[in-house]
Amino acid sequence: MVLVQEADFDSAALIAGMRQRTAGKAGALVSFTGYVRDYAENAQTHTLFLEHYPGMCEREIEALCATARERWDVQDCLVVHRVGELHNADQIVFVAVASAHRGDSFRACEFLIDALKTRAPFWKRETLASGDRFWVQQRDEDAEKTGQWAVPRDQA
Amino acid sequence: MATTPSIKVLYFAQVAELAGLREEVQTLASPISGAEWLSGLEIRHPQLAPAARLKLAINQQHAPHHTLIQPGDEVAVFEPVTGG
Repeated sequence: MVLVQEADFDSAALIAGMRQRTAGKAGALVSFTGYVRDYAENAQTHTLFLEHYPGMCEREIEALCATARERWDVQDCLVVHRVGELHNADQIVFVAVASAHRGDSFRACEFLIDALKTRAPFWKRETLASGDRFWVQQRDEDAEKTGQWAVPRDQA
Repeated sequence: MATTPSIKVLYFAQVAELAGLREEVQTLASPISGAEWLSGLEIRHPQLAPAARLKLAINQQHAPHHTLIQPGDEVAVFEPVTGG
């Protein structure tokens, strides 16, 4: 399931829901929560605005969940991503994966958040306490992390 | 009455701010590669230069610049994404 929303989310309730849906089948549940932090090195983030491409966002993340299901033994997969105006330390993103064994959940969860960062059409605009505004640039490190999940050609 | 073949263009984030618009309908009579279309975009909006750095999605799918844009397509143009 993929949810793109302005509203905050309750990660404990989301985990409880997944636990219920996979009761008896999943032996492992791994979740990741991302928060607003100071993106600039020497300045405090005041507000963060998240713009997105409605429709394509959901489609891209659904496609990543489908890839995760093909590559690992995944029983349930949930991604929630917030948009609109957020403040320092707010929750932005939640990814949870349930599987029979922990290895599949750990790997699928990390793959989903890494791939989401370079594939899902969201853009962050940061406003500093000083009032300066700028669009956050994609980090080379994020692109490299997604690249690490590429399936070698002989295994594809 | 035949309608003029066109594409719907969507601008996002910094690209939308620089171009000064978020959406427009553009006449497109015959297919054109993403790279050629970006060159045209740079002529219409010089503030987006160099436009070759921008990313494209065609009909809500990421599209490398050699992809052909067809009349009727929805074309989105944006900088590398920064969600998560």
